[in-house]
Amino acid sequence: MRIGTARQTYAADAALFDTPTQRAWLAVLAVALLGFPFLASEYWLYLACLVAIHILSATGLNILTGYTGLVSLGQAAFMGVGAYTVAILQQRWGVPSLLSLAAAGLAALLLGLLVGLPSLRVKGLYLAIATIAAGVLAHFAFSHFTTVTGGSAGLTVRPASVLGIALEDSFRFYWLVLPLTAAGLLGSANLLRTRIGRAFIAIRDRDISAEVLGIPLLRYKLLAFAISSFYAGVAGGLYAFFFRAITPETFPLVLSIFFLAAIIVGGLGTVLGSILGALFMTLVPEVLKSVMGWLPLSGNATLYLSPVRTIVFGALIVLFLVFEPLGLAEVWRRVRRTFHLWPFRT
Amino acid sequence: MKTKRQFLATTAAAAAAAAAATLPGRVLAQARPAAQEDIVLGASVPMTGVFAFAGIGIDAGIKDYLEILNGQGGIKGRKVRYVPEDTGYKVDQSLAAFKKITGGNKVNLYYADSTGFVKAVNPEVDRMGSILMTGASFAREISNAQKYPMQFMVGPDYSEMVGILLQYIAKAKPGAKVAMVYSDTEFGKDPVDAYRADSKKLGLNPVLEIVTPPGSVDVSTEVIKLRRADPDYTIFHGYVSAPIPEFINQARAQGLKTSFMGTFWTMDNSTVMKMGPNADGFMGVMPYRYYYDTEGKAPMLERIRKMRPEYQSTAYMQGFLATMLLTEAARRCIEAGNELNGKNLKTALSSIRNFDTGGIIGVPLSIKGNSIPIGRIYKADFKQQKMLPVSDWISLQ
Repeated sequence: MRIGTARQTYAADAALFDTPTQRAWLAVLAVALLGFPFLASEYWLYLACLVAIHILSATGLNILTGYTGLVSLGQAAFMGVGAYTVAILQQRWGVPSLLSLAAAGLAALLLGLLVGLPSLRVKGLYLAIATIAAGVLAHFAFSHFTTVTGGSAGLTVRPASVLGIALEDSFRFYWLVLPLTAAGLLGSANLLRTRIGRAFIAIRDRDISAEVLGIPLLRYKLLAFAISSFYAGVAGGLYAFFFRAITPETFPLVLSIFFLAAIIVGGLGTVLGSILGALFMTLVPEVLKSVMGWLPLSGNATLYLSPVRTIVFGALIVLFLVFEPLGLAEVWRRVRRTFHLWPFRT
Repeated sequence: MKTKRQFLATTAAAAAAAAAATLPGRVLAQARPAAQEDIVLGASVPMTGVFAFAGIGIDAGIKDYLEILNGQGGIKGRKVRYVPEDTGYKVDQSLAAFKKITGGNKVNLYYADSTGFVKAVNPEVDRMGSILMTGASFAREISNAQKYPMQFMVGPDYSEMVGILLQYIAKAKPGAKVAMVYSDTEFGKDPVDAYRADSKKLGLNPVLEIVTPPGSVDVSTEVIKLRRADPDYTIFHGYVSAPIPEFINQARAQGLKTSFMGTFWTMDNSTVMKMGPNADGFMGVMPYRYYYDTEGKAPMLERIRKMRPEYQSTAYMQGFLATMLLTEAARRCIEAGNELNGKNLKTALSSIRNFDTGGIIGVPLSIKGNSIPIGRIYKADFKQQKMLPVSDWISLQ
């Protein structure tokens, strides 16, 4: 509970960013994000775009798993559907990029509705297996509908084009991915303050009680799947525009596990968790690589220590799960609380 | 730390310092010009992950050739500097490595680690126009010089590998029955169309195709299919090892006499020898000579054996030869007085005729397209624990 934030109107009580300090820091962040491309190298811009795509997809998964409590391992498949939708619409009909991204989201949404159907009957691990099956079916479709998907060789994608500008490098692509990710985050933060979001949380906490309270389970579970897969579809579309080449192997099961790990490490059921989790999972391996680069090692030592990076990364994830099960978002909240309450202890 | 606040302040300061150190801005990068003297060879190498067995060899091969080259004064007095990054054999990490290396260095030569990465980075390579690229991929698509104008591969593409195997079969046993077992992956399916077309063209009888998931799988039903078809030769493609040993063991247990064959990534000596005694006689195509090959004049192989007394893998040879060809292109480009850029480097590479690789490839080398369709059939001899040649060098050029 924070002190010194007495609210005197309903509007203030319902505000998403409720203190001047918070709004000021948010403005600083916005300025930093807008200035970042002009200062950063191509490498960091590339990573920023990749992180943004991962944040968008992780946010979608967090709506489904973190807020609604439906474990899904089909996120990669939904992203794949989005990516292939973008590629096919671009190649066959020359659909404008932004429209094809919307279509990617809708195509994934439809698949999400289909995959979500078993969620009324099964939960937990059983549902996870059902979503894996969706991934397998999607992979089969990508591989075998050769005339549409290019089969195992996949499809190549031209760069996204907005207002006649081809977004062919990370600098330009950043200006597409940043607003879309920001809109996705804002949308998810607001969604969870609505009746729908509260229904999701009720279902997560106790679905039978939620139904007793008048929440139609099927409708809301399907809605969670639909929204989550829409996010994944748009993220997949962005992925296709970013990497410019997609094959059935671009979206393996391990990518779904990556996103699940991201939201667990970041913090289930928080918008911030999706951001921090995606940041952690994407950037920590790169940072570890840089750290290895700074160490005064000879060539062979580097060779033998390369696997250590993977071990350290895995260990970090395990340590988080053991010592901070609420994820990085909780660490962040604790840090904030420390500053808010200083000189008093939390 | 005395207080949590001090701890947080220290952590924040350390994070800021780390960020400053690892975030070289555009302005900073521009203010630090790349060394004019060095020619930079960047590399996305899988030192970890599923392809690390090859990445480690490739890395060693690149380093050794550059040690030899730089020891002789480099290229026209210019040293070649190797800047590798580990990728874990993941496309996004390979691309990150590419951006990092090209962002911090003036790169003209690059080694790529996978087909996926080559496809993803190709538009960037074309746009930059400063890099000649080769790598670990032998995908058919990359041998299309129009689509991949700044790339080449260090050997035959997968379709050409299968073509070389089929040529050998047609000569050894005209009209032979052949089967192909491949993985349900882009890698596995790559030469399937060529297998169908070439086997017909060479008068062979393609009796069976089997598709399996990659890796260890139950193959008992597939072996029954194989027994029914009873091919004279069975070609595996799209695997490194598993499920090949399982196939061979079950096939031998059922009395199949078929000769098993593989393509490049299956053909390392240690990979085949680990398949077990049933794999005695396993054949396959290899574009390079093996480390222990003492046949004929091979000064470069002798040099390698001096540098590294222990066996070096075929991936090592691939990295070594890739570096030899990349730097040869750079040498010809500089000698012609041309600027080092992708187009000039590719033109220089394409001018290579009857090039002596010092015995890495057993015949003089001429480069005409994006691939080098030369190979030789080797056969496993478990008594000697070696792959031994059973054919002359076969060229599809």
